[in-house]
Amino acid sequence: MDLDTFFVSVERLQNSALEGKPVIIGGTSDRGVVSSCSYEARRFGVHSAMPMKFAKALCSEAIVVRGDMDVYTRYSKMVSDIIAEKAPVYEKASIDEHYLDISGMDRFFGCLQWTKELRQEIIRETGLPISCGLSVNKTVSKIATGEAKPNGEIEVPLPIVKDFLSPLSIRKIPMIGNKTYHLLRSMGVSNIGTLSLIPIEMMESLMGKNGIVIWKKANGIDPTPVMQYSERKSIGSERTFERDTMDIMGINDLLVSMVEKLAFQLRKEEKLSSVITVKIRYSNFDTHTLQKRIAYTSFDHVLIPLAKELFERLYTRRMLLRLVGVKLSGLVRGVQQLNLFEDTSEMIKLYMAMDSLRKRFGSGSVRRASGIKMKEFEEKKKCI
Amino acid sequence: MKFVVSSIELLSHLQAVSRVISNKNTLPILDNFLFSMEKGVLKITASDLESTLVTSLQLENTDGSGDIAIPAKILTDILKEFSDIPLTFEIDINAMSIVIQSESGKFTIMGQNGAEYPQMPVLKDDQKQSLEIEGEVLLSGINKTLFATADDELRPVMNGIYMELSPDDTTFVASDAHKLVRYKRTDVNAEAASSFILPKKPASLLKNILPREEGVVKLEFDDKNAAFTLTNYKLVCRLVEGNYPSYNSVIPTDNPYKMTIDRVEFYNVLRRVSVFSNQASNLVKLALSGNQLSISAQDIDFSISANERLNCQYEGEDMEIGFKSTFLIEILSNLATSDVIMEMSDPTRAGILLPSGSDDENEDILMLLMPMMINT
Repeated sequence: MDLDTFFVSVERLQNSALEGKPVIIGGTSDRGVVSSCSYEARRFGVHSAMPMKFAKALCSEAIVVRGDMDVYTRYSKMVSDIIAEKAPVYEKASIDEHYLDISGMDRFFGCLQWTKELRQEIIRETGLPISCGLSVNKTVSKIATGEAKPNGEIEVPLPIVKDFLSPLSIRKIPMIGNKTYHLLRSMGVSNIGTLSLIPIEMMESLMGKNGIVIWKKANGIDPTPVMQYSERKSIGSERTFERDTMDIMGINDLLVSMVEKLAFQLRKEEKLSSVITVKIRYSNFDTHTLQKRIAYTSFDHVLIPLAKELFERLYTRRMLLRLVGVKLSGLVRGVQQLNLFEDTSEMIKLYMAMDSLRKRFGSGSVRRASGIKMKEFEEKKKCI
Repeated sequence: MKFVVSSIELLSHLQAVSRVISNKNTLPILDNFLFSMEKGVLKITASDLESTLVTSLQLENTDGSGDIAIPAKILTDILKEFSDIPLTFEIDINAMSIVIQSESGKFTIMGQNGAEYPQMPVLKDDQKQSLEIEGEVLLSGINKTLFATADDELRPVMNGIYMELSPDDTTFVASDAHKLVRYKRTDVNAEAASSFILPKKPASLLKNILPREEGVVKLEFDDKNAAFTLTNYKLVCRLVEGNYPSYNSVIPTDNPYKMTIDRVEFYNVLRRVSVFSNQASNLVKLALSGNQLSISAQDIDFSISANERLNCQYEGEDMEIGFKSTFLIEILSNLATSDVIMEMSDPTRAGILLPSGSDDENEDILMLLMPMMINT
């Protein structure tokens, strides 16, 4: 199941004026990219991951919305909750995609009926359009969902899997990106039917192991199971600047606010991190990272100096920076063991109070003063 | 030189001192025992440069004197294989050969020059302080505190037992910043106030040899080293340099909530419930309400949980506090009384565990455990 133009649909729920108009969600600056766009905008040739400048040129009357990830996450969770309640096994593949394994649900008036009812329920409860494809495995279901859009449903039972796939463009196979597409097109392969007829050995010599997987997908074979849950290995945050910068003070403040948010996320999920990584990208796209192993922690006051120290060691060239990022990995579930000499009761209570504020009013509701300056920092950048 | 010794007796002394020998020695000669014979007394020394342990044996059938270093491993390995029989050691100091003769056999080992063995550090006479302490008291001071010492290379002062001496009492303190033990004896008095930090290794060596000995231990120390003299053993060790953190200031004094509970029951319940705690954090939650303590743990990753209730005497407001179960279990197992008292103030401050009704009025034990931060 895949939510149609998810970000746009959420924005439309909140602002009905956007209904029926071309809407583009993404960074509002010229350097931003399109993260989602409505079908009306797609008609102009706009698609996601396109530079915003380009998209605006294509579709000048489009309404550009900055987007709010917090709201999207909330809606996504609403959908997941409905699915979790009904489906025996589900996998949340991304913010707007879910795979459901409904083997055995055919007893309830058939799988298709069950799926239809689930889909209607999601639409009724959340108001978001959703499409679904019902088929024998994850790959075919995903392709079918793509075909069902917008706001539709398709069933591809086992006997017609091949007939369904054959006429479709090879681009529809999830693994095939631009490069593979061009490679196959140069060989004269344009639809899945042709691809499935290529001998598997040839695919292997052409693309190695991936060739075999693509060939299998083209033949409607995909044994990967629907995995209920996969442990996240790290959490991170990065920021590309509007303009390349050398404002070290500003970047330090940015690191502080990033770490602050990540550390809160750790504490909220009752996790501790043991590795901190800082990443920078110079204006010539040279990317450097530096990481450090630390004692398990989820405290800002431990992580912030580490992030700053790593950044200082990392930034050695006098060149403008394009991007900085922080990542916390080596995560384990657990809560902080307090230290007799370092953690005072007042500080722990401060953490607890700030966290409960953040839980109630959002993660940006309380922050360090240097984090508040971040807004000015951005505005200043814009003015230049 | 030459001497006759019982194989078992020699082995027992060697095994006691061999614990000093480290398996990553910087000096090859430290893989040896130093045998020194003088006036019918055999002294055996083992050292890792930081700690040196000497044991002495009074022998009857001896001849000559001198020093020689004998490889530790081969000597203990061969002695283990004998039943209790007399062995004759014939040592040629010039050739550095050691011949061990039993009734029916002859074993030859090559030694090293005893003069190359590092000298035992000598305490500075002008700074030296000394004190006599009952062996049993020293042993219980080490036993009660050793488990709470840290293993932190960055803060070496925490890796030892802090001994604080004063004319009124002697205090043993150990802490790894999560738990802290303060063991005070009012029956051990020094002439003047002073203190030192005894590292972990010599402390555990003492823990091992003190039960073998009876009587008084003579403790001498200066700013660098400490020497413990027992009847048959002498331990000299380098002290940890640096200042011990001011432990008294972190012990909360105002703890209005007080729980009295059966120690063994509490311990057993914790052992059971902690099986269900998260393996990384070992968090158990203690919820106090009325006269009931409810202990719970869960591991979300495996969807397992446990909850057990216990009766206790509790004076205070209802509260919930989280602890690392392994620490709490360790503390309870190091207390001896049938009931323990736990004093608390709030979930972000340390909990204090005290024995309830100790038999020995000369001792004062306080164990402290920092809680874990739980979301409420």
